[in-house]
Amino acid sequence: MKGKSFCEQNARERARVLLDHGTFRELLDPFARLESPHLPPQGIVPQSDDGVVVARGTIRAKEALVVSIEGGFQGGSIGEVGGAKIAGALEMALRDSARGRPVISVLVLDTGGIRLQEANLGILALSEIHAAIVELREYVPVVGVIAGKIGCFGGMGIAAALCSLLVGTEIGRLGLNGPEVIEQEAGIAEFDATDRQLIWKIMGCRRRMEIGQIDLLVQDSDTVLAEAIAEYCEKTLLEPAEARVPRTRQIESQLKKISDYPILPRILENTALPARTSVHSRGLLWFQALTGNSAVTPGAGAVLASDVQWGGETVRAIVVVPNPVKRFPRARDGQVGIEEGWEIARLVREAMTADEGREKRTLLAIVDVPGQAFGINEEILGLHLSLAAAVDAYATARRAGHPTVALIVGKAISGAFLAHGLQCGQILALNDENIEVHVMSEASVARITRRSPEEITSLARLVRATARGIRSFASLGAVDQLVNCDHSHSIDAYCVANVRSKILQAIGEIRLFPREPKMRLDSPASQESRKMSSVVRKALEAEWG
Amino acid sequence: METLNFNFPAGSQQVLRKVQVGIVASGNLEVLLEPAANVYSQVRIRTSASGYGETWKALLQVFFERHDVAACIEINDSGASPPVVLLRLEQALEESL
Repeated sequence: MKGKSFCEQNARERARVLLDHGTFRELLDPFARLESPHLPPQGIVPQSDDGVVVARGTIRAKEALVVSIEGGFQGGSIGEVGGAKIAGALEMALRDSARGRPVISVLVLDTGGIRLQEANLGILALSEIHAAIVELREYVPVVGVIAGKIGCFGGMGIAAALCSLLVGTEIGRLGLNGPEVIEQEAGIAEFDATDRQLIWKIMGCRRRMEIGQIDLLVQDSDTVLAEAIAEYCEKTLLEPAEARVPRTRQIESQLKKISDYPILPRILENTALPARTSVHSRGLLWFQALTGNSAVTPGAGAVLASDVQWGGETVRAIVVVPNPVKRFPRARDGQVGIEEGWEIARLVREAMTADEGREKRTLLAIVDVPGQAFGINEEILGLHLSLAAAVDAYATARRAGHPTVALIVGKAISGAFLAHGLQCGQILALNDENIEVHVMSEASVARITRRSPEEITSLARLVRATARGIRSFASLGAVDQLVNCDHSHSIDAYCVANVRSKILQAIGEIRLFPREPKMRLDSPASQESRKMSSVVRKALEAEWG
Repeated sequence: METLNFNFPAGSQQVLRKVQVGIVASGNLEVLLEPAANVYSQVRIRTSASGYGETWKALLQVFFERHDVAACIEINDSGASPPVVLLRLEQALEESL
């Protein structure tokens, strides 16, 4: 075989081999000592580079950046420091590329997604990584490489789907929810996490290639991989960016594929339709209260949208609601499932098209999402891609000048929140202790991190980012305003008027001064609670050159 | 996790370069080796396996007896066995001279 195994190499060696010989220059190397400050208090030994290698160099003599994630350390999970290294490096590449100095960007993805021990710090970093990729790929090729034993899952699976080119090997696999989490959340009848054949049959890069979710399948050889990437980048730099339609924008064809897809019979047997058809949903209540659109009931679909006029502002409210008769059983309780991601994307892009050449309407994401759908059907179809489509739509609308505001009224969990809310310019939330913001259910966190639920609860007191309440989330500087509203019984008119005025205020602020996710770092709360995110970015800028 | 600190008299050969080897993966460790700042070779260890202080001390003694060097060493360990630790230390040293 030509070359050496790529998979067997560590993150640093992988970065080196993708760059032209002798051009590898590491930024924030191990001796910069930017390790996770959050792991030692939890009794976990940190790694000097927090599992992320950032390197500059050239690819066929063109300026390049390689970010390589070390799958061997904590499952390649993304914590605050590693996340800031990735986001910060992409932001620097974007700065240079936008100034006419293109920096080809390659992400070597060997990661299970957000590091559960750093929870909400990870989810915020992910939202910044997503925002950067969507923007950067307009200027230069952003290449994702899925070649390691961990594969690429969670929020990083979404990031992968946003890349302009995805390269994989037979060893690699790609999806949203890892097999263990699906089994924990939906039961062994849904997914047997020990069935390796099944896992690769569904999530393996070969399968992803067959259904068009990655672009290139190459053998596990460092030289073959490096050449394939260089070849693609050289070719792509010559053609205009708009020549290619990103896979996250192929909405109609994907929705068609999904509606043609036969749900696995054994899943239907295991998930009988519930007797109840009424649903309780805070998201639906607030959607109806804010839009005055009480006629809309679930059953009409799991994503609802309505355009309202508030003063001079047109606002399109979008909400995901439970739908007990939905075709996909694992998305019946208001989860963002395979249909929902694409449907959100469709609704956002519909507004963008309608507003072309005139005042852009606001996109209001009403957030009450208990998570993404944990199911085998969803992974077969590519849930990571569906969520990436929603991320892409919100990010692109925001950049096109649509004010984007998220209003958290219920749960805001994990990939669902990344897809529906976290790309917004401002985030408002009801000041209600029942609101949860988190990356995974406690049971799954316990399983993956091998801790008891009691340990996890006591940890939340120690590490704020792992706590689940909205006030803890707000303490990370991620919420622009907590809106007081007594929500214990029903939504009264005063509350609704108050929330609406806060939304209008946010819209006004955004119209004056457009916002993007990374600006959350400027908030006073972030300066303290996400200090490392800023420290890493500053250090990176100093070493960037 | 346990943190251990050891000092050994600096040997005659100063290491020339900063070197990092290894990964903090199960049964493995990361070694950061750089020139010693004073008359001691300082070693800091953070290990996931608590209660092996004496083993570490003996292991490092073997290392510094074999190699007459002056170096500042940091180890992040995820339960590596003694032979793996020695192997990594020697790998780092080789790259740093």
